Amino acid sequence: MIMGLLKESLKKSSGYAELRYHKRSSLTISVKDGKIDALNSGAVEGVCARTLIDGSWGFASTTLLEKGKIKKILDDSASLAKASKPKKKRAVKLADVKPVVDKYVVPMKIDPRKADREELVRLVIDVDKDVRGFSKTIVSDTINFNIVDDHLAFLSSDGAEISQRLVRCYGNVMVVAREKGNIASAYESIGEQSGLEVLKKTPLSDVGRTAAERASKLVSAKVAPAGLFPVILENRITGLLAHEAVGHCAEADLVYGGSFLADKLGKKVASEKVTLIDDGRFAGGFGTMKYDDEGVPTEKTVIIDKGVCRSFMHSRETALHFGVKPTGNARAWTFEFDPIIRMRNTYIEGGDYALEELTEDIKDGFFLKGGLGGQADFDGEFMFGTQEAVRIKNGRLTESLRGVTISGNAFEVLKNVDAIGKDMIMRIGMCGKEQVNFAGIGGASLRTKVLMGGAK
Amino acid sequence: MSLNEFTRLALKYCEKLGADEAEAFAQSLQTTEVVLERAEIQNERVKIQRGIGIRIIKDGKLGFAFASVLSKSSIEETCRNASSLANVSIPNPDWVSLPTLTKLPKSPSGLYDEKTAQMSGNEVLNIAIQSYDQARKVDKRVHIDDGKFSLFSTKIAISNSHGIEAEEKATLLQGYLICMAKEHGKASSMAFEYDVTRSEKDFSPEKIGKYAAEKALSSLHPKAVKTFTGKVILDSETAAEILMYPIINSINADNVQRGRSLFAGKIGEQVASEKLTLVDDGLLPKGIGSSSFDMEGVSHQKTSVIKNGKLEGFLHNSFTANKEKTKSTGNAHREGYNMLPLISVSNLIVKAGKKKLDNLISQVDKGIIVRRFSGNIRPDSGEFSGIAKQASYIEDGEIKYPLKETMISGNAFYAIKNIIEIGSETRPTMLRVYSPPILVDKINILSK
Repeated sequence: MIMGLLKESLKKSSGYAELRYHKRSSLTISVKDGKIDALNSGAVEGVCARTLIDGSWGFASTTLLEKGKIKKILDDSASLAKASKPKKKRAVKLADVKPVVDKYVVPMKIDPRKADREELVRLVIDVDKDVRGFSKTIVSDTINFNIVDDHLAFLSSDGAEISQRLVRCYGNVMVVAREKGNIASAYESIGEQSGLEVLKKTPLSDVGRTAAERASKLVSAKVAPAGLFPVILENRITGLLAHEAVGHCAEADLVYGGSFLADKLGKKVASEKVTLIDDGRFAGGFGTMKYDDEGVPTEKTVIIDKGVCRSFMHSRETALHFGVKPTGNARAWTFEFDPIIRMRNTYIEGGDYALEELTEDIKDGFFLKGGLGGQADFDGEFMFGTQEAVRIKNGRLTESLRGVTISGNAFEVLKNVDAIGKDMIMRIGMCGKEQVNFAGIGGASLRTKVLMGGAK
Repeated sequence: MSLNEFTRLALKYCEKLGADEAEAFAQSLQTTEVVLERAEIQNERVKIQRGIGIRIIKDGKLGFAFASVLSKSSIEETCRNASSLANVSIPNPDWVSLPTLTKLPKSPSGLYDEKTAQMSGNEVLNIAIQSYDQARKVDKRVHIDDGKFSLFSTKIAISNSHGIEAEEKATLLQGYLICMAKEHGKASSMAFEYDVTRSEKDFSPEKIGKYAAEKALSSLHPKAVKTFTGKVILDSETAAEILMYPIINSINADNVQRGRSLFAGKIGEQVASEKLTLVDDGLLPKGIGSSSFDMEGVSHQKTSVIKNGKLEGFLHNSFTANKEKTKSTGNAHREGYNMLPLISVSNLIVKAGKKKLDNLISQVDKGIIVRRFSGNIRPDSGEFSGIAKQASYIEDGEIKYPLKETMISGNAFYAIKNIIEIGSETRPTMLRVYSPPILVDKINILSK
């Protein structure tokens, strides 16, 4: 029904116009210290219009799904495009794409629409029990499980008509341990784009135990020291390096703004061990979609191939500017936002080292585990937090210390990568670049050098 | 229909569904936004959002459902959804009740400005351009990386089955610029500057542009400094982020009750330097977190948190207050109609000292000033580490030179005990903390 309404409305648009419909239904189950918070469910839905007139975009959105209102946002977006035109320096032109008519539903074994909610509640309660029972030092936990079911429609005045259903199931565990006036917390998550089968594949209880073990171990631990050290980044955090440190520099809008990679196409930017990919169709990836929010089919984009910079991530606009094909990286968080260039599933390809082989050559260094927030400037300077730093002495893992923020220039860090593990995994992430979005981050454990911002 | 008519209607449906208690929270929000990217107007957006969130309690079991469509049929369906969620849940033994009616104080002045509410997209665009032009006017070496100017016009309404019924509207204008300076092929670090006010007449786009440009220029040609432990001046934004964020986490009664706060059991104890006094004031005139009631419809108030370094109180919503048989401090907060109420500060005010920033600088024999921080702060333990951006080296009471990216690390709970001085120039920050610059001692400064 909504498709018909949108199609009808687009007939009277001016310039090049897009309408996007988005309904996001969600269910959240949250258990705190064994007690269940209100079960939370609902839907947010709306439509946005984006119009390109004489090289100027205008954008408007609404949650009122009536014919008159959709007409109004189309008109509003056209008049915003016209009004802001004199103030814009650059005329936007778009790379051609064939308008697609298609329907896509993420492959699922257990569609969460048919979920037994009582059973899910019991599952979360069980994980909570398990976590709190892990050790006496654990004083508090929060276990969340979420289902986000997105229905997206994209229609353009060129004739594109795409409908996609993307389903994400994910959970996270936050554990706090206390002992003798000290406090430590740990955090882990699971999830993918799929049905509820993810709970069988990567049980929430497994990461619950990882977090519980970490919090109780770190409660009496000291903060890791400061300085430049040889480190192994655990496979669960390599994705942060791929995403924060490198990925953003390869987003064509930032490349256009003069990012580190701006003049590096075809040049060596990392150790030859490093192949870095942003894949729009990684099976189960948190950022996977068949078409991006400009109606462009997504693809697997090789950004760094054996150390050499090969490609950037593009929208239709930047693709034309750079004279390449759009890669399908234009994504919007909801109908309230216009699509901008975003990563999808970014990862560093696995190598052939076992974990013991990675550690054996390190005399004095750290095995860094558990990710926290990160950020990067487009000159490649990055930082992200780690939860745990296990000291490596003469090739052996020794004591666990509290993790610290690590930083450096991404490309220095990548040049120093001399070994990559064979334990490649894809994880879930949330990325904020003016608007947030789901992103897959992945990789295998790897060995390099980073600056650790710790205690003296 | 007005928002309160929708919330009342929801309560009626909930009663029919056999709810013991019910609450409806409705919100309408119009956002007009201008986004600058790579020195260009990237986009203008007008967003209109409306929605309702409904909490139902049945036999101690809680259900919450929300919808972005406000119509009779959608509200009826949302109530049914909330009710069915309560049915499949498990009773929460800590649940006592939704808040009961309190007499609301007079609405703080200056929260809503009709002229601001009526601003067109073009007027917001003009503000962005004024800011942008000002930055370029300061010096041709200044380049704008990105920025965003947003006008929010919002209305919220709450009704609950204990007779609470409240409605209020507000406006908020906020904007920021991030820019850098370039000279001889070298770029400075990114400088960030912002303003946030309730009305357009208090908003200063020129100041944003001017200060952003000056900050960027002053960080050209940075030098490295050897690793040392010493004094650090945190400006308003970094003081809020590094020092106040762990405090905000630790005065949250939910965290206190759940053993997640290092302040648990320390009321009356000295937890910070005598120089530190913190008040949460939900009634601050023109305050960016002000309104006459919190997001459960409970009266806003002034709550003393830390007085001369002594811990005085925690912040409650009705759930944590009931659990302890005390009164809610009116700190229920929701990120939106689709979220359950949690606890947050309204306006957390750091009592200003008497010294201007220049005087703080003159007090530093060897140290740095940090104007941007990119790092991690552990809200529970207070540990922080990250990159000091837009930092300068201070020696013998004078700023000597800008610093190359330098890492800093420490612990917020130690740092607040080592406050040397709190400045006089208070600014609102994005965390709803009103803070002047703060000079602290014994921070690790690590050369890269």
